[in-house]
Amino acid sequence: MTPTHHPSGVRGATGSESEGLVLGDQELPFALPENLPELRTYLQGALEIEHLTIPPYLTAMYTIRAGTNQDAYYTIRSVVLEEMLHMTLVANLLNAVGGRPRVARPDFVRSYPAKLPYSALDVTIPLQHFSPEAMRTFLLIERPQHVDDSLPSGKGWTSIGQFYDFIRTGLLTLVEELGEDKVFCGRRERQVGPADFYNSGGEALPVTDLTSALLALRVITEQGEGLHDSIFDSNDQLFGEQRQAAHYFRFNEIRTGRTYGPHDTPDTPPTGPEIDVRWDQAYRIDPNASIADYARYEDTAVHEHAVAFNNAYAELLAHLEIAFNGLPRFMILGVPAMLRLRDLAERLHHNPHPDPDKKSRGYFASATFEIDQHQIERGHEIASARVHTTNLNAKLPVDLSAVEPS
Amino acid sequence: MTSTANGTVAHRRRYDVIVVGAGMAGSLVAKQLGRQGWQVLVLEAGTGGRETWEGHLDAVETFRSAVAKVPNSPFRRNAAAPSPDVLDLAPDGVGFTANGYFVQNGELPYGTDYLRAVGGSGMHWMGLCLRMHPDDFATQARYGYGRDWPIGYDDLEPYYTAAEREIGVAGDAEEQRALGIRSDPHDVYPMHKIPPSYVDEVCRSLDGHTVHDPVAVEDFTLTVFSVPHGRNSTPDPRYAGGLGYRPTGAVGLPNYGERCVGNASCVPFCPVQARWTPLRTQAEFADCVTLAPRCVVTQVINGSDGRIRGVEYRTYDDPESAASRPYRAEADVVVVAAHSIENARLLLASGLANGSGELGRNLMDHPTMLTWALTSADGGQIGPFRGPGSTSGWEAFRFGDARAARAPFRIEIGNWGWGWAAGAPMSNVGTALGVGGDREGNIVSAAVFGTKLRHTLGDQIGRQLQLQFAMEQPADRDNRVTIDDRYRDAMGNPRPVLTYNLSEHVKKGIVAAKRVASAIYAQLGAQEHTDHSPRDGVAPLGYFRYRDQDYTYAGAGHGAGTHIMGGDPTSSVVDSFQRCWDHPNLYAVGCGSMPSVGTSNPSLTMVALALRSAEQIHRDLVELHRPANLSGDRARAGGSVTITEVHP
Repeated sequence: MTPTHHPSGVRGATGSESEGLVLGDQELPFALPENLPELRTYLQGALEIEHLTIPPYLTAMYTIRAGTNQDAYYTIRSVVLEEMLHMTLVANLLNAVGGRPRVARPDFVRSYPAKLPYSALDVTIPLQHFSPEAMRTFLLIERPQHVDDSLPSGKGWTSIGQFYDFIRTGLLTLVEELGEDKVFCGRRERQVGPADFYNSGGEALPVTDLTSALLALRVITEQGEGLHDSIFDSNDQLFGEQRQAAHYFRFNEIRTGRTYGPHDTPDTPPTGPEIDVRWDQAYRIDPNASIADYARYEDTAVHEHAVAFNNAYAELLAHLEIAFNGLPRFMILGVPAMLRLRDLAERLHHNPHPDPDKKSRGYFASATFEIDQHQIERGHEIASARVHTTNLNAKLPVDLSAVEPS
Repeated sequence: MTSTANGTVAHRRRYDVIVVGAGMAGSLVAKQLGRQGWQVLVLEAGTGGRETWEGHLDAVETFRSAVAKVPNSPFRRNAAAPSPDVLDLAPDGVGFTANGYFVQNGELPYGTDYLRAVGGSGMHWMGLCLRMHPDDFATQARYGYGRDWPIGYDDLEPYYTAAEREIGVAGDAEEQRALGIRSDPHDVYPMHKIPPSYVDEVCRSLDGHTVHDPVAVEDFTLTVFSVPHGRNSTPDPRYAGGLGYRPTGAVGLPNYGERCVGNASCVPFCPVQARWTPLRTQAEFADCVTLAPRCVVTQVINGSDGRIRGVEYRTYDDPESAASRPYRAEADVVVVAAHSIENARLLLASGLANGSGELGRNLMDHPTMLTWALTSADGGQIGPFRGPGSTSGWEAFRFGDARAARAPFRIEIGNWGWGWAAGAPMSNVGTALGVGGDREGNIVSAAVFGTKLRHTLGDQIGRQLQLQFAMEQPADRDNRVTIDDRYRDAMGNPRPVLTYNLSEHVKKGIVAAKRVASAIYAQLGAQEHTDHSPRDGVAPLGYFRYRDQDYTYAGAGHGAGTHIMGGDPTSSVVDSFQRCWDHPNLYAVGCGSMPSVGTSNPSLTMVALALRSAEQIHRDLVELHRPANLSGDRARAGGSVTITEVHP
């Protein structure tokens, strides 16, 4: 099927031309973005892709039993932090080209198992506990371009890197056609900068022109997949951080239980020192857990906590939307929101699955990441109220003492 | 990344500089000189390993399992390079006993510790970065006590700025200007101040109130000021003329650098590596800097011409055994930066640098008097045990003519409840449960359990306020470090023998401080619980009686003065660049050089002095290596060469 190209915007999308839009599956034409609205749509898609990976990574991380698998825990955590940086950089890119990032929408959060959007790979991404299977899923997500160099078919892209290549090429073309000023028409005040979100995963750099836009794209792709033909990412070239293997390779280290040694290449498995990975030291969860399922059981505690988790997740998304849409300083409110998620996830994981049969087979309760419109609205209300009570501006230190927990 | 070497690699090799001690001062000197291309060997007596992620996690576990969370608790016992521990001291009815590394023969205990490890005491410091006040440099001239510095605040100001950039200090420059401590009106710190705690805000309710000091016979007005920290906070985009500042993250794990999130365990340990430690400086060492841990320098070696040749050091493998092998390394310049007490001990053992007779003398600290109270129940909880140990203080008593009458003091507003004074919150649990029984040894019948216990603890602990009064102690020749052949450690090195006391001037300051504390608590409506009196005939550690009143002080961890700086070789050990008068290529760097300590935590001043010394050491080395310049008019003289001037 050859997708046709609509000059007025993307087929099947709704909304005005000036906005990036939240899309359902298969609504992006597999061709280079040819105008600003299409570029924005691609960037909104990138936002969804970066976000999509976070719930599965968090689930793997929070199902590790406390005190075990420290290497794996901190590795996955460092990847999560970088994905959050990627989301921020994509939001900066989208804002820079005059778009409006949308993250607090029910359809922004896919239901799991989810399909990687715009992907040619028939891969579903479930919420899995820390396990070899989870690692294999993550490897598929982060698979570098040079591991599979085939061109995108009509069905989609074969790697996230390829997807960003399209964005990069489209951006360069548009700058040539329209001029840098016309393309980078977004307001500078909407950019999330290093003072707003520093040190976690690298640096949130503001995007104001082609140079910074290309740098942001480079950070995203190289942290994920690695420099061309190498295992390491470019962090040490870009930020002065110590060398660190790109996401794909970090996950492979966990999966194989070995670190990459000095003579290893991207195409060969790691041969360095072993990592102490204990797959049995994880809380096993049901990837198909759902709120509706939990509601069926007599003991409602799990159901309540799972709902509370989803509410907290909606609040986090609301905070991000506020930060990405003109109040970058308020990114910091995402921090206590993330800690709340951590606490709720850990509580769920410590409790057996309410189904007696699953419990007897060793399954624990888990977060479901299901968000509906009602929860989004509630999240917006709470997040806005917090923003009102918190006095944050660039001239003051970040001080959250006035913030009320929910 | 920091790379360390085995001590054997340096054997009989020659370096431009040998630095003894990989603490704050030593690391900064080594980094600066390395950046300028000099070959530097840093010999550290203690062990390393914390610069890796595994080492950091190991320290987290060690700290969490320690029963008493004293400053050295994340570190393992090291028989080869022992460190003093606050637990070494115990009251014994009449005075005190000192077990462990120090031998103490003074009237009063020197209650301060330090750490011999890669990073030194910088691994467990609180992180407060105060500059000294201009008046602090000339207390003898202005107020008639103590010793004056041969340089002034203005000489040190550019180095203070450099020190704040190097460490990455979070603070409010406007407040420091109001205190008379900074001059440039456009100056800001690299990062915004750490937000004041709720406890600080409770204390701020007294802003504008006056308190009477009966010893100085003067009224002082209370204003709460935030204190600058060497701790990651929000970068200030205005810093360095708008260049901003990028905080340094954790050492050993990329992308893990965090800002302060209120773990409340800074002393001894920051689990998220927000607080600056020398490990960050070491991670930036140039390749020409070699760091060798587990190398105890046993002698600084003198040549017959008074120029230092190098050092003798012993390396060990197993810290619990102290079995070691001796080696020698040579250098053009030797810098001892091992802590004021260790510097004195080493130089005394080497028979060096004591033409003045002042080496080891003038041992100082900030004797700190602790007071504690419960705020009124009506006021509600004040939220202790959150955030760094102290984020603000009352500064008024540090300055002014009252210093002539009594030692000045800085009031640290404590954020950690009665932790230091009374071992809270664990002690509260013990007390509530009646652990230990009553005075007759019977089971306490009024012990509380369950819900009542939780409420009691929440209520009590939540209203704990501790005010720490850090006294300036002036240089006193009789407070000193010496060595004695009879007292040696497991490796056979002489242990420091300390003789310590408090002068009348300091005791009067403590008297004033105690009265000020009570006045403050009264104004807050808080119920004071300070008790310095003997219990069952046993006086607490650091106890003394003055005019029929009981007082107790603790050590602050601020060793200073033992290789005092001055303008005259007959009365000081080092010059203003911390170069030993007696040996032109030997530097003694650290708080030991300070002629006075003022009422500010000394680390920032130490760093400023170290950076200034590093510049001078560089000049010395350049001087040593620069070729003689023969200037002659070869062209004019025709065939013959006439040397008209020789420039050495």
